[in-house]
Amino acid sequence: MIIRTTPKRSMSPIFWLLFGAGGMLSALFGPALIILTGFMMPHGWGVPSRFFDFAHVLAFAHNPIGKLVTFAVISLFFWHGAERLFLTLKDMRAGNILMLRMATYGVAALLTLITLFLLMEIGF
Amino acid sequence: MSERKPFHRTQPRYWWAHKPYLAYTVRELSGVAVALYGAVLLAGLICLWRGPEAFDRYRQVLASPWSSLVHLLLLVAMIWHVVTWFQTMPKTMPKLILHGRQVSQQRLTAIGWLSAFVCSAVFLAVVVVTGVLS
Repeated sequence: MIIRTTPKRSMSPIFWLLFGAGGMLSALFGPALIILTGFMMPHGWGVPSRFFDFAHVLAFAHNPIGKLVTFAVISLFFWHGAERLFLTLKDMRAGNILMLRMATYGVAALLTLITLFLLMEIGF
Repeated sequence: MSERKPFHRTQPRYWWAHKPYLAYTVRELSGVAVALYGAVLLAGLICLWRGPEAFDRYRQVLASPWSSLVHLLLLVAMIWHVVTWFQTMPKTMPKLILHGRQVSQQRLTAIGWLSAFVCSAVFLAVVVVTGVLS
């Protein structure tokens, strides 16, 4: 009998966690966010038009809670899509696993870093 | 001499485009639409970082009919994501037992849909009320 003292650990749970968090966040608030930023704010429907002013949106991005919300929404939405796209492409046998990982998780990781960088550059 | 001839079930190349797998494909791709909407928001963040002129152009793009069409499609995909997310949720979580009885999958799905509706509606209501009061 072979006893392995150090079991091989999988990275998958990390991606499942990000996928699940993004899935739940988008399921609960996604439709409202699209209605708000895609229709209400650009056309001034139901909200004052100054809500979409540069100064207003910048103030939101300066606020630490605003920063956190922006970061969570953008990065978790990306991780959610990345996991789903990865598993679907894997099932479609669209390419080798490493390539698919780079094209999905890799892109999500890169865009998460860009989001973090922009939020830090915009300042407090 | 015996020759081994294992049976290989054939799999059509585009199996995912046919029933019943098409429902799976559409469900998974609705999750990808979530990421596409994230990209729309990231584009806004980039324009915000670049300055007022870039942000004004972002506003113009978002006010265009093309943007409305894209957002309408994103909204449809997002709603399908909400519907299917809570349909699969009871299948992926441990059994929930309350007062010695298992809560049915249909009930968990219904609770999920209701919470999604309440969260989105309350969020929009808070934004509108904030706008009216400010």
